[in-house]
Amino acid sequence: MSAVPEVYDDEDLMAALRQALAGRQAVPPEFVEAAKNAFAWHNIDAELAELTYDSNRDAEAEPSTRAETASIRALTFTSAHLTLELEVTHDSLLGQIVPAQAGTIKVQLRDGAETTVPADRIGRFTIRPIPSGAFRLHCRTSADADALTGWITL
Amino acid sequence: MGDDSSVSALVARVCDGDQEAWSELIERYIPLVWSICQRYQLSRQDADDVSQSVWLLLVEHIASLREAAALPGWLSTTTRHEVFRVLRVARRHEHDDLPPDGQISGDADEATIENELIVAERNAALRAAFAELQPNCHDLLSLLMNDPPLAYSDVSAMLDIPVGSIGPKRARCLERLRQSPHLAGIISQPAEDAGIKETRR
Repeated sequence: MSAVPEVYDDEDLMAALRQALAGRQAVPPEFVEAAKNAFAWHNIDAELAELTYDSNRDAEAEPSTRAETASIRALTFTSAHLTLELEVTHDSLLGQIVPAQAGTIKVQLRDGAETTVPADRIGRFTIRPIPSGAFRLHCRTSADADALTGWITL
Repeated sequence: MGDDSSVSALVARVCDGDQEAWSELIERYIPLVWSICQRYQLSRQDADDVSQSVWLLLVEHIASLREAAALPGWLSTTTRHEVFRVLRVARRHEHDDLPPDGQISGDADEATIENELIVAERNAALRAAFAELQPNCHDLLSLLMNDPPLAYSDVSAMLDIPVGSIGPKRARCLERLRQSPHLAGIISQPAEDAGIKETRR
């Protein structure tokens, strides 16, 4: 990229300024507003859990041995201290916290909406219905470990 | 790319949790994201989807951006990736004939993408500089950029200044704009030698 500054006389500068302002005015206000709202997600103090298995992606490399025929898709998210296993069924998401322990799961949608479901004593939880758009899961266990998955779209 | 310091300062403030800095950053770069969505003729809904993903990714990764000055390039690349993701989902029921993510660079040539970035940077700097002009300059230049153009006599009446002072005031205001730190390294003074101007494009 050229580091040489461009040369502008007054007419050039007026034209460039007009273009710059027009470029900003062309953006719909709600588009800007939504972008500003994304800041609500900043600095969430949780360990990120990465997608380490997705049956859609990895099934051929690693044939599923699950007997669970109702499962359409299986996903695994792994952080340093927790693993979240998810199975997608026709109308719900069945989850398992590993190692097994009680906790709460927050289902976060991109518009900032959030619902909470409990995980039972052995770490099982159910999310029903399946979120229609992108979502992510924030898991906090009774032992105070927490993990945040990446965005998931099913 | 010029204006590094003010981008870096914004990014640093965002990392400190400054919502206002985030808003400023959006003001600066959202026209870039919008114009890329327009270039690929995305529906409004798809553009919203792309934009949401881009800004969420930025919120998550801003602290790990090694060089704040690389932000516009990161935004451009990420936006195009998201555009292709959305287009692939939209066409899943048709032909799956879009290239995988890794091949996106083939769709618009690099010169186009680079030029888009340069223009986006310059426009952001111009808007930032314009926003900080003294109110009298801001008002005058705004009126002079009116479309359709206003007669000087109208401008004179609206601002209650003599017609004869408009030209000189305009020149002074543009000079102030040019001196803005936002524009350092992005635009330069007109050269007396008209020959230099020919190299502009």
